[in-house]
Amino acid sequence: MVFISIPLMVRARGPDEFWRKRRIFKLAAHYRSRTRNVYSFAIRSVHRALAYATKGRKLKKLDMAQLWTTRVEAGCQQYGVALDTFKEGLARSDILLNKKMLSDLAIWEPRSFEALVNISRERAAVEGLPDIKRRSAFNQVYGLSNLKLD
Amino acid sequence: MSLLAQSVRQALRHTAQRSTLSGALRALSLGPTLQQQNKPAPATIDVSAIAKEHQRECQTICERINQQVARAEQGRLFAVVHLCGKQFKITPGDIILVEGYWPPTIGDEISLDKVLLAGARDFTLIGRPILEPGLVTVKATIIEKTLTHTKTHFKKKRRKQYMRINFQRSPNTMIRINSIELTRPVDGGGEPDAEPSKRLF
Repeated sequence: MVFISIPLMVRARGPDEFWRKRRIFKLAAHYRSRTRNVYSFAIRSVHRALAYATKGRKLKKLDMAQLWTTRVEAGCQQYGVALDTFKEGLARSDILLNKKMLSDLAIWEPRSFEALVNISRERAAVEGLPDIKRRSAFNQVYGLSNLKLD
Repeated sequence: MSLLAQSVRQALRHTAQRSTLSGALRALSLGPTLQQQNKPAPATIDVSAIAKEHQRECQTICERINQQVARAEQGRLFAVVHLCGKQFKITPGDIILVEGYWPPTIGDEISLDKVLLAGARDFTLIGRPILEPGLVTVKATIIEKTLTHTKTHFKKKRRKQYMRINFQRSPNTMIRINSIELTRPVDGGGEPDAEPSKRLF
């Protein structure tokens, strides 16, 4: 590449064609059919793949959050408590475990999770959250057994 | 002890609110008058007896935990710690990965103080939101500081002559958890949630 004048230098397109293409081909090496061997096809699929990878890093976080929610919900269902009530009860008891931890506990530490559910349910019953059918033992002690919670 | 008393007081406040609220609701509702009668709540409850009962229950649970710890039968502890804005469930020997910039360097011995929950085979200590300092000590060592693999940040818009490509690597820190220990006996007064299934609050 010889730049004789400024306009030619502006028009010059970086490295040699071979090396430019080689970069793309290296990324496309494991593709199938002509996307591996034909540059015009390869560059198309490589660009698409890189764009997907960029978006996927964000989506992965969202997907994991969704998965944790599902797991915690399933854990609550075992004890007949709705997810919202569970989380509200925990928050009102100042227990600030996040969704990831709750799902981990639900899977690997079922007895700790049961304790959390019990705390949350008791708190919800005491505060009179609408979802709880069972009356709070605490309210019964204090003569509130006639308080209808369901 | 003071905390228990406080909780009892809170509960009493709750009853007051609840009774007025339910009274107001009854006044509004269109049910039969029999149900609407505002029954006087049995006000003569021996609060101190209930408080004592609570205290006793709490004490027995704590004692059982302490006995177990004293005989070293509690097994391996796990803990949920808050570190760099994330929560990790850890147990001795674990290696956890802290993403992003974090000042400690290799070889540093640190103790993770924000313990949200600690548990063993037979009991769980639940912090509200964290356990009181000094109850559970979590010791850890920084073992590695590296960069992530290169992440390609690529954007392209078709037919708009728009294409951007950037490469990024962010720092990563690996920490090994050395030990999780109960340092002092669990006491009923300051600590509200030992084996919480038995407790109301």
